[in-house]
Amino acid sequence: MSELRLTGLAHAYALKTVLEDIDLVLPAGRILALVGPSGCGKTTLLHLAAGLLTVQTGELRNGFGRPAAIFQQPRLLPWKTTRDNIALGLKAAGLPRAAYRRRADAIGRAVGLDGDALDQFPHQLSGGMQSRAALARALVLEPDLLLMDEPFSALDIGLKAQLYRLLLDHQAARGVAVLMITHDLMEAVRLADSLLVMAPDPGRIVHRFDLGTPAAARDDDFVHRTTAEFLRHGDVRASFGLAPRVSPAATACPREIGTKVGAGGTAQVLPMPAGRKGLAC
Amino acid sequence: MSFLYRWFAGIPAYLWSGWGALASLFLLVAGWEAVSLAYGPLVLPDPAAAFDRLFALIDSGAAGTELALTARRAMTGLALAILVGSLLGLLAGLSLTASMLARPIVTVLLGTPPIAWLVLAMLWFGASDGTPIFTVFVACLPVIFIGALAGTRTLDHHLKDVATVFRLPWRMKLVDLYLPHVVSYLFPAWINALGNAWRVVVMAELLSSADGVGASLAVARSQLDMDAALAWIAAVVLTLLAVEYLLLEPIKREVERWRPVEHV
Repeated sequence: MSELRLTGLAHAYALKTVLEDIDLVLPAGRILALVGPSGCGKTTLLHLAAGLLTVQTGELRNGFGRPAAIFQQPRLLPWKTTRDNIALGLKAAGLPRAAYRRRADAIGRAVGLDGDALDQFPHQLSGGMQSRAALARALVLEPDLLLMDEPFSALDIGLKAQLYRLLLDHQAARGVAVLMITHDLMEAVRLADSLLVMAPDPGRIVHRFDLGTPAAARDDDFVHRTTAEFLRHGDVRASFGLAPRVSPAATACPREIGTKVGAGGTAQVLPMPAGRKGLAC
Repeated sequence: MSFLYRWFAGIPAYLWSGWGALASLFLLVAGWEAVSLAYGPLVLPDPAAAFDRLFALIDSGAAGTELALTARRAMTGLALAILVGSLLGLLAGLSLTASMLARPIVTVLLGTPPIAWLVLAMLWFGASDGTPIFTVFVACLPVIFIGALAGTRTLDHHLKDVATVFRLPWRMKLVDLYLPHVVSYLFPAWINALGNAWRVVVMAELLSSADGVGASLAVARSQLDMDAALAWIAAVVLTLLAVEYLLLEPIKREVERWRPVEHV
């Protein structure tokens, strides 16, 4: 079974350490979300996984054969039509023109881009359309590993909900493994099987949450409730630089919250074993 | 094929949009006529006289021959500058050291007036074709070099990441990523250089050649023939306008369809 395994990974830009002692395992078909404040090394971690940065310390083993990525901005090639942008990876894989255009059309329609939009250049599309095209460009490859760097952060909530649905449908149908980074806790709670909370200076994994309910079965109510639970957690608050809660619950140790959430059958909070900064999925 | 089709299909609408430009050109001619009426034909002949002379020159075949000769010199110099400037600029853009080294040299080249190069060229090449061709080459080289340099240096590293993640083979990286980006810088530089070449070649011929439009201008000057001088000037300017707006502008529109439209 293919997996992405990071062991003791660390990274530094010049003298500044941005990642330290990262351990994580992402097996096929799971969605893993890295949440944390801006500047905690999330993007660096994703770029390492995507092979855009060279591993300095530690080990990164990527057993997936067809990775694809969605970046924070759509990053479409401005001189190619939407259709040719979507087909970029297929063309790179050597598919004949007719075949890759047909598949780009099909996936384009699936994400809600009509024929006109596919013929247009990126600057003629709205921001939301460009994001759909970026999503289509990744999904059309039928990847086994999808790396996402806050791809939905600039979108309105309606569009976000649509793209979440598209992504989850695709994920359910094809069993793609997803490593997503976000600073939006609600987004992570809506999509991910597991959440890894990162803290900055240097970037490290401080906590891990596993969500029991499958993503497809989560409703708004669940997402709001669970996000609120997470936000009460000491490590999460500290990571985002929030003041500790003054109510009695804030002083509760993680184990107590974990028990409470776990008892509801919705989510399970596992306290980190002492001395470990990361955990396998 | 679809390129040619769009080009031809676009010409009527494009020409129609040229009415505004024509109107402003006619305003200029009207101003010319006003000055000529105020100061008399000895200072400035009226446009009708100049254009009559131009048509006479065209009829006699003189205009065609001289323009062709001048165009050949300008295009030879420009082609050499495009070849050398684009190649050197692209290579310099690939290395940070080379681009830092090149910048001051290019500033020196840009700052040197073409007339200074012309003096050197006259000493080196005498009255041969080499003088105008070399002057055009040197005057156009830095403009094209800078365009090519900027093209390679400004490539968005975000797009390079996309190329890496989607595993583009090197040929696709070149054709789908580097070339379109670089051309978007190179093409305007080439057009810029064309205008430069056309101006400089006339100046070089005026001072160094026995034939060509510049030489004809020199003859008109020595004979105090204002009609002929203005007729030659009109011939040079109209040729450049025709090449730029009938040939280059439609090509530019086609290759830069992907760019957001900038309203002037």
